[in-house]
Amino acid sequence: MTPTAARDYPEPVVRSCSASRLRFVVILLLVAAFYSVSWKLAHVDLGKLATGLPRMASWARKAWPPATGELPVLLLRTAETVAMAAIGTTAAALLALPLCVITARNITPSRLLYYPGRWFLNALRGIDSFVFALLFVAAVGLGPFAGVLGIAFHTWGSTAKLWAEAIENIPPGPLEAAAATGASRLKVLAFALFPDVAPNMVSVGLFWWEFNVRASTVLGVVGAGGIGQELKNSMDLLDFPRLLTIIGLILIMVTVIDHGSQWLRRRLE
Amino acid sequence: MGAVIGAERLTKTYRLDVTALAGVSFSARPGEFVAVLGPSGAGKTTLFRCLTGLTRPDAGAVVLDGRDICHMRRTELRAARRDIALIFQQFNLIRRLTAVQNVLAGRLASVPTWRVLSRRFARPDRQLALRCLDAVGLLDRAHARADQLSGGQQQRVAIARALAQEAKVILADEPVASLDPESAATVLDTLHRVAKAGVAVVASLHQVHLAMTYADRIVALRAGRVIADAPAASLDARAIEQIYAKNGEPAARSSPP
Repeated sequence: MTPTAARDYPEPVVRSCSASRLRFVVILLLVAAFYSVSWKLAHVDLGKLATGLPRMASWARKAWPPATGELPVLLLRTAETVAMAAIGTTAAALLALPLCVITARNITPSRLLYYPGRWFLNALRGIDSFVFALLFVAAVGLGPFAGVLGIAFHTWGSTAKLWAEAIENIPPGPLEAAAATGASRLKVLAFALFPDVAPNMVSVGLFWWEFNVRASTVLGVVGAGGIGQELKNSMDLLDFPRLLTIIGLILIMVTVIDHGSQWLRRRLE
Repeated sequence: MGAVIGAERLTKTYRLDVTALAGVSFSARPGEFVAVLGPSGAGKTTLFRCLTGLTRPDAGAVVLDGRDICHMRRTELRAARRDIALIFQQFNLIRRLTAVQNVLAGRLASVPTWRVLSRRFARPDRQLALRCLDAVGLLDRAHARADQLSGGQQQRVAIARALAQEAKVILADEPVASLDPESAATVLDTLHRVAKAGVAVVASLHQVHLAMTYADRIVALRAGRVIADAPAASLDARAIEQIYAKNGEPAARSSPP
């Protein structure tokens, strides 16, 4: 039943020209200015796109049929990319394990470790695996190992940060209860914390593996091995049928890994 | 038999001159179920935090088995905590582990580290955990995940965890405050039976009638002081009224004399 109207209830007055409206217009103008400057800085030139697109179309015609002669080698290179991502991500995960304990606010052994830990992670995260790979190619030479190192260092920071956040979201009660039995810190973390965060941690790890498979196709361009290196070679030689085969392989690889990893992550929930 | 745990003239003042405890003394013997009653702000939570060594009192002592735990070093306190098991209002079970695994958490302090890391508890520990679950009437739910149990069942698992710890004292801060009446009765009945088996149980409660039904002795707190400490059977309605009275006057003042 609706209550009958006994009196008018006061409501806030909305004026047509208020300070909030003025603020809205100013923000709109600032956003417009930002985009027009960005457009200039990015050298957006639609005319160039108009002449470039037909060129790409002619490449596409020349690319058919895809070259299959080197398929065994290219498959090996694809496997190399998946392996780089797997080893790099696993190494990153192992390195991240102690660091996520230090940088989770609720379980950090000391504030003196917490802040330097966070800074270190932010530095690792701030430098892309591409940049790390570039440095490691110079340090350890061309090849997939430089790629592995590049992936490992960037993923180390990212994984540890996400894991630390997962740990911070754990309710404190069960940890207190386990600590109250008189158990040591290590036992409490292993028994009461780990089972709660483990599925989340594995899920984060799989996500980064998946991400790194995609990222490592680019690493070949700086000479860090894998299918990306073959991609760059074909592009330099304008060998379009070979290029098409490589792009096809990358698409298949990424799709299979994405679906497999997503299926695994769903099973963990 | 003498007291296994006791508070001796505990005093605790927080900043801004809030007196939580003003000389609280009481003790519990093995086999005794002591209910701590009192309105919000009476100092119940501070008292429990002192009893577990989480809060250090300004003065006074908490005596466990003849030793003062308020002035122990950390390692000593950790060892002393093995003798005290805690029951929480929110149960605090590890969600993703089974009931029996949660009971095994009570063994953490007495099991070698490698066994905890590899989750391979010895057969005597596993058997003990199952025995404890049987004691709280949950053997049939031993392998159900903790988050699939009802609130009352989770609290009984927590009691089984306390039993597995082989503690001499069980401290329960508001153990039934978030349970429905039926589950609350089951949980308190379980605590009562545990006490009869020789453990000292100290539980803070909100409902007077539950304290009267299940506890052996009632300690009433008011503004940081003990205003009653007597066998549950000897307390009458008037004494209880006094506990919850406002401004020192009987709560039932509005009713005609």
